[in-house]
Amino acid sequence: MKRTYLGEFEEIVLLTVVLLEGQAYGVAITHQIIEQTGRSVRLNQVHAALHRLEEKGMVASKMGEATAERGGRRKRLFTITAYGEQTLLDIQAVRTQLLSLLPRALKPSISL
Amino acid sequence: MKKSTTPTPPQPPRWADTLLQWFCAPHLLEELQGDLHEEFYYQVDRIGLRRARWLYVREVLGFVRPFAIKRQANSSASLYYSSTSFLQLNMLKNYFTLAWRNLWRNKGYATINVAGLSVAFCICVFLFLTVYLQLTFDSFHQDKERIFQTYFFANNPDKTTRSGNMPLPLAPALKLEYEEVEAAARVLMSWKSLVTYQDKNLDKDVVFTDPDFLKIFSFQLLQGNRETALTNKNSILISQNLAQAIFGNDDPMGKVLQITNGGKQKGYMVTGILPDAPFNSSIRYDALVRIENYPNYLPDQKNWTSNSHQVFIKLNPQVNQATFEKRLKLFARKYLAESLQNLQKNGAKPDSRGDIFTVRLQQLSKVHFDTEISKGPPIAIIYALLGIACFILFIACINFINLSIARSFTRAKEVGVRKYLGALKSQLFVQIWSESALICFIGLALGAILAHLLLPEFNATFDTRLQYAHLHQPGFLALLLGVFILVTLIAGGYPAWLMARFNAVAVLKGKISLKKPGFLRNSLLVSQFVMSCLLTCCTIIALQQVEHLRQKPLGFEKEQVISIPVGTQANGRQVLQRLRNKLANDPTVLAVTGTSVNLGKGKDHVSSRSTIGLTYKGKEVASDLLLVDYDYLKTLQIPLLAGREFSKSYPSDSVDRVIITQSMAEMLGEKQAVGTFIKDDADTTNSKMEVIGVVPDFHLYSAADEKRPVMMHFSHSEPINYIFIRVAPQSLKYSMDKMKALWREVAPGSEYTGSFLDENIAAWYQNEEKLAQICSLASAIAIILSCSGLFAVALLVMEQRTKEIGIRKVLGASVTDIIYILSRDFVKLVVVALVIAIPLAWFLMHQWLNNYSYRIEISAWVFVGVGLVAMVLALLTVSFQSIKAAIMNPVKSLKTE
Repeated sequence: MKRTYLGEFEEIVLLTVVLLEGQAYGVAITHQIIEQTGRSVRLNQVHAALHRLEEKGMVASKMGEATAERGGRRKRLFTITAYGEQTLLDIQAVRTQLLSLLPRALKPSISL
Repeated sequence: MKKSTTPTPPQPPRWADTLLQWFCAPHLLEELQGDLHEEFYYQVDRIGLRRARWLYVREVLGFVRPFAIKRQANSSASLYYSSTSFLQLNMLKNYFTLAWRNLWRNKGYATINVAGLSVAFCICVFLFLTVYLQLTFDSFHQDKERIFQTYFFANNPDKTTRSGNMPLPLAPALKLEYEEVEAAARVLMSWKSLVTYQDKNLDKDVVFTDPDFLKIFSFQLLQGNRETALTNKNSILISQNLAQAIFGNDDPMGKVLQITNGGKQKGYMVTGILPDAPFNSSIRYDALVRIENYPNYLPDQKNWTSNSHQVFIKLNPQVNQATFEKRLKLFARKYLAESLQNLQKNGAKPDSRGDIFTVRLQQLSKVHFDTEISKGPPIAIIYALLGIACFILFIACINFINLSIARSFTRAKEVGVRKYLGALKSQLFVQIWSESALICFIGLALGAILAHLLLPEFNATFDTRLQYAHLHQPGFLALLLGVFILVTLIAGGYPAWLMARFNAVAVLKGKISLKKPGFLRNSLLVSQFVMSCLLTCCTIIALQQVEHLRQKPLGFEKEQVISIPVGTQANGRQVLQRLRNKLANDPTVLAVTGTSVNLGKGKDHVSSRSTIGLTYKGKEVASDLLLVDYDYLKTLQIPLLAGREFSKSYPSDSVDRVIITQSMAEMLGEKQAVGTFIKDDADTTNSKMEVIGVVPDFHLYSAADEKRPVMMHFSHSEPINYIFIRVAPQSLKYSMDKMKALWREVAPGSEYTGSFLDENIAAWYQNEEKLAQICSLASAIAIILSCSGLFAVALLVMEQRTKEIGIRKVLGASVTDIIYILSRDFVKLVVVALVIAIPLAWFLMHQWLNNYSYRIEISAWVFVGVGLVAMVLALLTVSFQSIKAAIMNPVKSLKTE
């Protein structure tokens, strides 16, 4: 089986890019991750992950429009590539496959 | 422009923004900064301005990551190079391989560089070692900042004098009266004594001192108890060396040694073993005994006017030297009132500190360099050596730079191609610099090997005891490492930086050339020549002065005289008698005599001096006192001005009869000195000395000093320490061998250490000679290095002007014209160098010569000569290249275009 290298954080970022549907850029992704997962994420971490994803060819980017609060600077908008989508599906497939092979169903964890 | 609704919109910290702009890759800057600002305004609303600003800084710092840090993104080669950091091992290996190949291909260049550097390094190792050892003199004592040597300061009417010789009662009195003095020890050195154990007899330096010696100095006892080692008056502490020589592997503790001095033998019990004194110790010893055993201790115990030894004291930690010296003013007034009054009577005035005669302290660390107190080398010489070392290193660096720049133009194409292929400046820099570092390293290694091989030679020539082991001291290693890094950075870094800046396109088009000869290069060349001319002028003048001192008439004939130290194992008077008997009918021996003081510095290295001061008819008279035997004047061929020499036909000569020198006669103020009686006004015993002869002044001590009055007396009882023999001029070597053989008969068991008087005299000028030799060596090296530097620059210029020369030739210039055109610029540089160097040399040497009362006048010919030689050497060096360029076929050089 072909292996895809995608870190856990990269996976989250990639999923968020899909979630934001064309409006994915640094700040938005950061806020979305914080909102959705509750983990404390910093801007530079997100940027580093995006950079890696782009190097791996999972996202594509283009410069978007400028807004006032950015001091007239443009934002870089990210979209997922077909390869990225395929990778996400692959990962999901691997997980589903493994879960289905488990001898007993996992109990939902009790959280307080 | 839009107007903001808030009067002052919140801003993220400016400096953080600037920081980001500085490190961030340009193609990422816009989006990153945009995101950061957007986040900032979001956070301002959420958590307030202050915390938002704080967060902003944290975010900016968070972007210091590989992906965001500045890289060149747009070059076509960036993909390849940007993933190759220039500090990667492979790349470095590659650079060194390239460097090695480049050096191999240009053997001539590499040889000049490596040879120059290794010679310079080698010399610097020697000089730095010498300086290091000298500057660390006595620094191994633990409480060195609290240890002082006392000295007498006297503000005579004509000049101030300082003397480190102290009277015996001084140290105990100091300790008794001042609670600030933690310990005080009298130290009497340079006293050869005969050490006997069973059948072993050795001449050794036995130092007389006090038990406090061990409290002041931190020589660690190898055996024995530090507290009690010297409490007994019959105790002796011996050095490791002496223990080995006498006892071999046996345990010396508790054994009894016999020590003979002043004709008396006494037994001492070994109570401890000291390590040998390090080379950089002012205190030298083979053995330590209590000062109470010093032969003249009893008579002089309470005598405040007989000065014989050094005194070292250790002050309590909180005591300040200046405060303590103030307290000492009273001390001199109390105990040395007589000297004070005498000075006042002679018209001495208090100096700026209000002292006429007082006791002062010299710090232990400065004792070695105090020429008056300890006769060490003046510290200026040490700094001069340091300066010379730096000079040479600097010249070598300049060469290195010039040679590298010269070569960089021939390599311009390589650099251009590399640049075009996308090599970064930093990569080129490291590559070129690594080449320099390689040369420098090879030079250093060769220099170290050279130094290692030449060390014994250097030690022998300059009479030092440098050891390679000193190199392993961290301080010295750090210094050497510093020098290495500095040299590679200066000498390798600059050309590397220069080449890395080349414009790739211009280089590839073949357009690279310095439009005018670099100002930097010219000033480097000039300073190089200034230094070598300066060194040469100074060396020549120093050599002239040394020669002048040597040639100076001393007042006696130093040729053909053998001087034999009697040593401690024999009785000088008996030996002299036996020798006289043996040699009475020998035609090759012209005269034999004995004396108390050697002339010059013999093989025993002992020097002693005895002086006498008295008041004659109300006048203060000071003179050297010299014990002589029959035929002294005959042996040294000192003529008589009046009167006669001591003679066997006058049996009463041994009692109170003296021969004086002319200046002594003048001092006495007697026109007819012969027949007058010299008598001390203060003396009540009615003893007087009759003058039986007057001789011209002669130099009893160094010729560098002024001639001092001398009073010669005769005695049947005082010990004879040296025997002088005048031999016939035909067979000097033969006579020396004969004396050596004869010595075994007349003084059995005593070592023969005879030498010719002229050699001894030469040893007087050792300091000057050493300095002059080191200087000549240094200046020779400086000149060679400078010339190789000039050679390199000439090479560079020729290469740059090949085409110009070709065109000139085609248009009809003769070879002479071209040589003239090419050499002109260099001659100008040399002239500038001379104009700077000559006045500087004159000034420096004028200062130096002022130290000598008998000195040469600086001759203008020295400067003319040095100038001419420098010019000729420069021309020769340059012409080698320019002739080559001038006779080259112009077709060849022009065809390339």
